[in-house]
This record gives sequence, C-alpha cells and structure tokens, in this order.
Amino acid sequence: MMKKFLSILAVTALALAMCLTFAACGNEETADPGSEPGNGDFKVGAIYINSQNDTAGYTYQHHAGITAAMNELGLNPETDLIIVDEVTDSAAVSAACDTLVEAGCDIIFGISYNYIDAMEEAAAAYPAVIFSHATGNRANETNFNNYSGRIYQAHYLSGITAGLKSLELGNNNIGFVSAYGTANAETCSSINAFTLGAQSVNPQVQVHVNIIGAWENEELERSLTQDLITTYGCCVIAQDCDSAQPQLTAAENGVFGCGYNSDMTSAAPQAHLTAPIWNWGVYYQLAIESAMTDPANFIADVGNYYGGLADGFVGISPLSDNCVAATQGYIDAVSSLLISGEWDVFSGVKLTYNIAEDGTVTVNQNDAALIDAAGNPIIAAGGAPIADEAIAASMNYFVQGVIPHNN
Amino acid sequence: MGKTRIRIVKRDGCAKRKKVLMYLIAIIVALAIGAILLSSLDVNPFQYYGKMFTMGMVDNHIAYRTVENYIKAFVPLLLTSVALALSFKIRFWNIGGEGQFIIGAIAATTIAFTCGPSLGPGLTIVLMLLAAMLSAGIYGGVIALLKVKFKTNETLLTLMFNYIALYFLLYLGETKAPWNFFLNPESERPIFGSFADIVSFPTIMIGKFSLNLSLLFVIAICVIIYIYLKRTKQGYEISVVGDSVGTAKYAGMKVNKIVLRTIFISAALIGLAGALKVGTSGILSTSITDSVGWTGIIVAWLAKLNTIGIFVVAALICVLDTGSTIASSTYSAIDANFADILQGIILFSVLVADFFTRFKIVISKKEEQ
Repeated sequence: MMKKFLSILAVTALALAMCLTFAACGNEETADPGSEPGNGDFKVGAIYINSQNDTAGYTYQHHAGITAAMNELGLNPETDLIIVDEVTDSAAVSAACDTLVEAGCDIIFGISYNYIDAMEEAAAAYPAVIFSHATGNRANETNFNNYSGRIYQAHYLSGITAGLKSLELGNNNIGFVSAYGTANAETCSSINAFTLGAQSVNPQVQVHVNIIGAWENEELERSLTQDLITTYGCCVIAQDCDSAQPQLTAAENGVFGCGYNSDMTSAAPQAHLTAPIWNWGVYYQLAIESAMTDPANFIADVGNYYGGLADGFVGISPLSDNCVAATQGYIDAVSSLLISGEWDVFSGVKLTYNIAEDGTVTVNQNDAALIDAAGNPIIAAGGAPIADEAIAASMNYFVQGVIPHNN
Repeated sequence: MGKTRIRIVKRDGCAKRKKVLMYLIAIIVALAIGAILLSSLDVNPFQYYGKMFTMGMVDNHIAYRTVENYIKAFVPLLLTSVALALSFKIRFWNIGGEGQFIIGAIAATTIAFTCGPSLGPGLTIVLMLLAAMLSAGIYGGVIALLKVKFKTNETLLTLMFNYIALYFLLYLGETKAPWNFFLNPESERPIFGSFADIVSFPTIMIGKFSLNLSLLFVIAICVIIYIYLKRTKQGYEISVVGDSVGTAKYAGMKVNKIVLRTIFISAALIGLAGALKVGTSGILSTSITDSVGWTGIIVAWLAKLNTIGIFVVAALICVLDTGSTIASSTYSAIDANFADILQGIILFSVLVADFFTRFKIVISKKEEQ
C-alpha cells in the first residue's frame, strides 16, 4: 500500500516537474527582474496597506499613480518598482524599508500615516535613499518628506453638486458618512468644505454626519448611510471613506450621492453625482523625476508637498447625468477661482452665484465670517484664508450647518 | 458485488527513513504546485525559490539587517510555540495565544511608559518582563480556573478571550484621551507612541550586526523548559496528567493544581514573548502578534510538542515567512497574499505527510451479505 502511495506521489511530482520545465522555457524571452541586480537602473520602492493587485480603493489609487508616473518617465513598473504590500505592523514597516533598500530602491514611498515612525528611522539609517511619506507631517533636511493635498477643495465642488441637487429635490437634509470626524483634520476639513460648498448654492442646507471610526468597514458604511436616510431623511449622501457602500445604499433607497476616491458612477449609476478624487500620479511623477535627476536637492526641489486643484493633484470625477443641468457651469466658475488662487474655501469670503439664461454662471464674492458649529467666529468677514498647516494638521471644529450625530 | 470500504487505521510506528522521505515528498509536491502557479504568472520559480530560501541574503550589502529582522520574528514565535506545547501536553487546548501575547505586550508597554522615565532602563526591563508574565499568566489562568471549577470549555473561552484582548488593544490605539499614555502626544491623529528612547532591550554589536539579546534569553528559557519537562517532578506530573487524568488521580496527584500551575506558566511565557516583541520594536501596534498565537499551534504540533523539535520547526517557518515577503517584493506579479498561499500549500502538504506517518488508509473489499 505504502509503495503504491509513494509511486502515485512520485508520478505526480514528475508530471509537475515537467510542466514546470515547460513553463520555465516559455519564460526565457521575458525580462527577468531577479537576474540583473544592481545594473544602475533607477528603482522605486513602495509600501502598501492592502494588496498591489487591488482593483479599487486607497492602495489601488496610489499604485495606479506610481505606475502611471513611472511609465511617463520611461521606467518599467514590472522591473523597476519593488513593492512590499499588506503592511500594517510597525515592525513590518521597518523590515519592509530594509527589504526595499536591499533591493536597491532609490526612492521609497509609504502610503499609510502609521508608517511615520519607522520611515523616519529608516531615513536616518539610509541617508542615500529618499523616503517619502503620504499624509504625514514629519520631514528632515536631506531625504525624508511628506505629501498630501487640498482634498477639501474637491469636497467643496462636490458640495456644490449636492447642494444643487437638494434645491431641485426641495429637501435641505444632506448626509455625510465619514471615517472620522473632528479627530482627524483631513476628514474634518473635508466635511466642512463639503458643507460650505452645499450652502453656497442652498443656504438652508444641513449636513448630517455619521462617523464610522475606520477608513474601511463596509457594514458600518452601509448601516450608517441607511440611518442618515431613514432617520434624517437625507436626499444626498456624501462620503469620506473607502468603499462604495454609501453609494450603493443611496441607490437602493432612491436617493443620490457623492462618492470618494474614484468615480463611483459605475457602482451606483442611478445615484452617483460626482466624487472627489486624488490624482496621486501628479506627485509621484514630480517626486520620481526629481529623485532621478537631482537626488541631492530632492528636499529643496520637492519639499513637503501639498498639492491642490491648481496642480491637478485633486479634482472631481466627471459629473454624471444625475446632476442638475446647470451644475457644470458652477463647477467651472468655482474651479477657476480656486485654480487662480484668487479665493479659497476656508476664508472670510463666501460665494454666491448668478446664472444667466444661457447657463453661464458668474460668481460673486461676499465678505462673510466663517463661523463654527458652536457659533464662534473662526475668521472675521473679509479675513484671509486659513494657513495650510491649520487645515492639514489641526482643524478640529465643524462649521455652522454641520450636525454630527455620533462624533 | 463487492463493497469497497475505505478505513483510516492508526499506523504502529513508522520508520524514521520513511518519515523523512514522506516529508521530503510533501515539500517537493508543494513546491511543484507553487512552481506551476508562479510560472503561470511569468515568474521563474527557481529564482523565486532561491530568493525565498536564502531570504534574499545572497549579494546583499545589508544582509545583516535581514538577520536582525529574522531574529525579531523568530524570538516571539519560538517562545510562544514552546509555551503552547506546555498547555497541549496536559490536553488543555489553549488557542488563546494571541490574546495572552497582546496582554503581555500591553503590560510591558504600560511599565515602559510609567516607570521607565524614573527607574532607568535596567530595572524597567525586569519589571516589564515580570508584569507581562504576571498579567498574561492571570489572563490564561482564569480560564484554567473556570475549567477546573465549573468544567467550562477552554477551547471556546481561550478563543473568545483573544478578541477581548485584541479589541482592547484597538481601543487603546484609537482613543485620544488625556489618560491614554499609549498614544503619541505629538500626533494629531491617534497613533501609538514609541518608548524606544526611554527603554529598549540590550543588543550586542558584532561589526554592523546588532544581536538582540532576547534571542539568547529565549534560548535559555527553552533549555530551562526542556529540563523542567524531562527532569523535574512537576514535569513528570505534566506528562502523567496528559496521558490520563485517572492515572494521575490514582497516583494521588492534585490534578486541578497541576492544570492551574501549568496553564499559568504557559500563558505567562506567551505574555513574556509579547513583552520581548514590544520591547525590541519599542512601539505597540494593532498587529503586534504577527499571528504567532496561531502559527505557534502549527509549530507545536508539527514538532510533536518536543522542545528541540519546536526550535527547528519555528526556525524553518520563520525562514519561509521572512523569505516569502522578500521574494514577493522582488516580483511585480507577486503580492503578499500570493506569498501566503504558497506558504499555506507548503504547510498543508507537510501536515498531510505528517498524517500519513501516523495513519494509513486501508481499502478492503467485502462481499455483500
């Protein structure tokens, strides 16, 4: 019996070995990344939260940005991009940095805020390699920087589309499902900007906010959206979290929604209006190019990156057919103000609009104080915009019109 | 018409040579399956396996860092596996390694932040280890107490206690509050704070390579456990209770006391592993266990609960684990999930081979009556 079993195993192994040799033969033409180490090629390293093979979500957006930038710069992502993925543990981050340095990477991107300590240490340990940290707030003077962006500008624009929709529907309740609330400056500024955008077209708007407590939790994203619709009668659902569940839930309830991170129109064709998106590739191209041409001056040239609508680093996905007809005119008019830098969201100036019969939108700038939800003035009427750091790092209050339900 | 019956029969003894052969075949089959999968993704399996089993240390100017990272992964797995084997020896199905590990890590971190600044590193380290052992020992011991007093099911309880510990850790990691000294006070967003500059475990520099003393410490503990099991009265009691509770009772042993004591030691050692892990990285993390509470179960059983065997199996599994990450990063088509699948195939094949060293399949034909 034993002999029979062994012989079956042996035959299987042989057959497999043959397949293997056969398959390996077919491989010879393709360039092999392992066979030519250290040939002076420029190599990019990346540390991801989820899998590099994801087809949607945060990691996917970064991976798409890095590969697009590399293709643009004549690098081959198949061979010149080294990735350690599924990294959440801090000890694993530092091991991942070691692995990427060993592999000969010249610049290493880490996409999660939690990598901050390990990347700072790695930058000190490997001065010849550039470390670039997404959404962080630390840096050094030679080889460690951080990058993020004015996603609030995109949320303001999506707020306009939501506000116009609420006017059309005659319902002033808009919902917002967010990963975090005032505890996270990025989500806090996004909710505020969205609210200000919606108020600029419909001053009566109230934005009801439900907080998830995590970037990704599909069940909560769904149930908290349902709560906003059934309890508060919201007619548009915006989101600042990873999955498309809020949009799917909105579609099932026959209401509308603004997605996040990627164009969610295909996920919820009857509901989706537009989505604020990051174009990470804009930064990746800038950073990789600088690291390729003049690595010694990387910090001087690139520094801590905070890109906005003007850089094409943030934006909104194409408006869907669900949007009110005139929406594009509003978006174009406000975008040009934001791009020129003439006006910004968190300032003592508010926008109102005049719409001509041919659909052209003209924007009026009116001095008006920025007031928080408790009624305290943040900026006096006519005051200058808030400093970048205050938006990116320390904004921790909601503006008037935001109604948090489980903050 | 004959009726075919397939039965699984216990094998009485399996020659060593045959056993080794079985394991070898299992690994070859697993690697061959992996090779097909790799080839289908246009990756050369020989180069991939080469990278994996050498952990990418060939032609690597900072290979010493790989060894350092390897040791950081090996130490907690080794100690946790040895400790779990202790539980399994008395037939206490402790699948709560994850939770006990987390409790140990949290206790050690608490000491590091609260006592570290005033007591100095030396005394702090001792207190960290003791606190971790005590708290994890109690965390596991409570379940043993419930079992001996109320005959509760320890498999369910240890499993559920994992989640209490895990969600407590997540709570600490996400709750910004004045009392929460675990978090980095300078960060706007809640992230764990590092205590590496207050206290960190000693290392010896050998050239550029820094040898973490926790490795020597854990090896010493394994030797002590080995002697404890083989040469002491308590070790003998463990083996008797494991064989038959009835025999132990008949021989006048206090079975309940032995169970309580052994589980306390087992859980305390797992807590110690947690303290060593957090002490070497200097920071908590929500995935601090690296799944050693689960992997340790596989290690302990593959090694037949033998301390020396555990050392070998843990070392090999760590090579597999570390090597997988490094090899998968080299190839754009391979992600961490694929590397995990490969690891799973290898482990599964070895377990199947292990099954066949102990059981055989008998196919008999019976005439219908």
